[in-house]
Amino acid sequence: MAKDDDKEQTLGEVLRQQGVSRRGFLKFCATTASLMALPPSMVPAIAKALDKALRPSVIYLSFQECTGCAESLTRSHSPTLESLMFNAISLDYQETLQAAAGTAAEAALHDAMKKFHGKYLLLVDGSIPVKDDGVYSTIAGKTNLQIMKEAAEGAAAVVAVGTCSSFGGIPKANPNPTGAVSVGDLMKSGQIATKPLINVSGCPPIPVVITGVLAHYLTFGEVPALDVHGRPKVFFGETIHDRCYRRPFYDQGKFAKTFDDEGARSGWCLYELGCKGPTTYNACATTKWNGGVSFPVESGHGCLGCSEPDFWDKGSFYAPLSTGHWGTAEGIAAAAAAGAAIGIGAAAMSRRHQDTISKEE
Amino acid sequence: MSGLSDIGVKVEGDSEPEDGPTTRIGNALPILHEIETYLTRLTQGGEPATIDLRAMPLAPGDYETLQRLLGEGEVSATIDALGPTRVRETAVRGVWWVTHHGATDEVVAEFIEITRIPTILQTVDEDLVDGLSRLRECLAQEGQAASD
Amino acid sequence: MDLLTFARGPALQWSVAIFFLGVLWRLFGVFLLRRKKDYSKPRSTHLWRGAVKGLIVHLWPYKEFRPKVVQSYILGYIFHIGLAIVVFFFVPHILFIKNIIGVGWGGLPNSFIYITGAVTIAALVAMLVKRIANPVTRLLSNFDDYFSWFVTIAPVVTGLMAAAHWGGRYEHVLAVHILSFELLLVWFPFSKLMHTFFFVVSRGTTGALYERKGTSA
Repeated sequence: MAKDDDKEQTLGEVLRQQGVSRRGFLKFCATTASLMALPPSMVPAIAKALDKALRPSVIYLSFQECTGCAESLTRSHSPTLESLMFNAISLDYQETLQAAAGTAAEAALHDAMKKFHGKYLLLVDGSIPVKDDGVYSTIAGKTNLQIMKEAAEGAAAVVAVGTCSSFGGIPKANPNPTGAVSVGDLMKSGQIATKPLINVSGCPPIPVVITGVLAHYLTFGEVPALDVHGRPKVFFGETIHDRCYRRPFYDQGKFAKTFDDEGARSGWCLYELGCKGPTTYNACATTKWNGGVSFPVESGHGCLGCSEPDFWDKGSFYAPLSTGHWGTAEGIAAAAAAGAAIGIGAAAMSRRHQDTISKEE
Repeated sequence: MSGLSDIGVKVEGDSEPEDGPTTRIGNALPILHEIETYLTRLTQGGEPATIDLRAMPLAPGDYETLQRLLGEGEVSATIDALGPTRVRETAVRGVWWVTHHGATDEVVAEFIEITRIPTILQTVDEDLVDGLSRLRECLAQEGQAASD
Repeated sequence: MDLLTFARGPALQWSVAIFFLGVLWRLFGVFLLRRKKDYSKPRSTHLWRGAVKGLIVHLWPYKEFRPKVVQSYILGYIFHIGLAIVVFFFVPHILFIKNIIGVGWGGLPNSFIYITGAVTIAALVAMLVKRIANPVTRLLSNFDDYFSWFVTIAPVVTGLMAAAHWGGRYEHVLAVHILSFELLLVWFPFSKLMHTFFFVVSRGTTGALYERKGTSA
């Protein structure tokens, strides 16, 4: 955890104190621009802004989650850059990463919330259970909802890290036993204060997308442009399908039919194997994973759509996107039988009517 | 494990280097065309340009195709700042390949610069001033030592 | 539940159920009607041959009518064949069908499908213009004609929009595309679109009748 005395220093000062040269700083800025998916021509402007940026206090809260998001974040592909990012922010509370535990940790949280009231950046991973007064997840005797309410009150902005805090994620999956909701849901229903919210969805989110969003906030001091689901457009502006290197095969109608056929070996489109790329907005196809090594489609498996709301409840991961969700064949059979019955009835009525008319004649 | 380079990776679909430009899909050729545009602009007195390789959806083999077609030039340099940064001119003069590495040598960012000399190699004004004062300090100390 | 999940789930189930209910209702209702006995002496008893002949002969207008209607026939063929290609040879559609009946077949390249879709739309628009421009067909047309035209062209237009990523986010346009197809399913049994089933029977019956009467065609 960062020391308290350097809170008001600018990032440039902090870095120079750490012996980072001007070339090093330029390299940091170029890498940051790349992270934020900004054009390289913006590097000088970024350098200028970052040089003068103040280190914000960051509080990172974890609720109903699997720690996969924090794992992803701490494995962002560049330890240097990540350590720089964490020097650039003052991470004042993170259950998994902090040394403090028990009451000391709680005290650190409350100190930070009080000291930087109205100024700190709140990172949240995990969904918040609200059923039965939120008893299904508590920390230090408080429900997640209570903690979230207190923390949101003094936050300058909230970053929902991962699909759980962005959209409810797996805890919210049918039948949602804990009544899990997203941070945005809580704001909408008025259960917590409404603050600027950035959803960084993904299960887990791409590490460089998390750090990219932090870098953006640090550089420009504001929330980036967001899409309809509150996600930064620079990373979630296009679908996996749009940026997929296998897209030409889709257009040519060349599809892998199984995971080990000739098509799969030739790297053809995985649409028929259930790839959700066309409806999934994320940066995987460009940023890739594990330091740019690969991404799911490149390693031969279709996209699961993990950065989309309710991805867990949208049918089989292996059913092609164009297939419907069928209830049971019985419903259709019943409808068909009913239709036949009505038809027969109508014909019978018509015949009886004809008989009546002919009798009258 | 010290880095990703330790993991053996077999790249498929990149096995036909002799047949000239092979990537029927992918972005190697479009990127080369982009470089051509920037290089034309530079020869006509225009601004240098930079391409962020991380911002490109590269198909397997694209990267290798780019490296193969651009080739190896006569200048290469390493900058030691926050981990090594390797700068080398490609066989296409004026086209530089800049790879930023982190502390453990993993690649953190990669650019193709179309310029006379990449910015990161140039000395900035503040560093010139710092250098000058350092030299003067040095001269003053030496002068003092000589007069003692 | 988002729009796409609704379109692919409950809306699909209901529309297909209504489609089957309606189609069987109409088919049973019509086929079980009592037909008037024909007491005249048949000039020919090869009724099946007449039916097949009727089907074939009516594929193209009689010489006498040709100058007046041949344009409509051509346009009609273009959009019917176009629809068949788009519906049955676009890979995502094949997958949709395969998911229901368990049998699939090879598709055509997307670019070909897109062009076919555009041609289909052009033919449908041309047919509507012709219908409105001609005072007789305009007088004969009712809501059924116009709405059936609408539910036919809507899935093609929205499908092309989805393919072109135009008019909104892909998942929304895709949902609207599926919903427009479901509207077609629901409207189908209760409208002139039933000609899909009835045209064979009506042309065949007419052919058989002509054969019995000994008329030329």
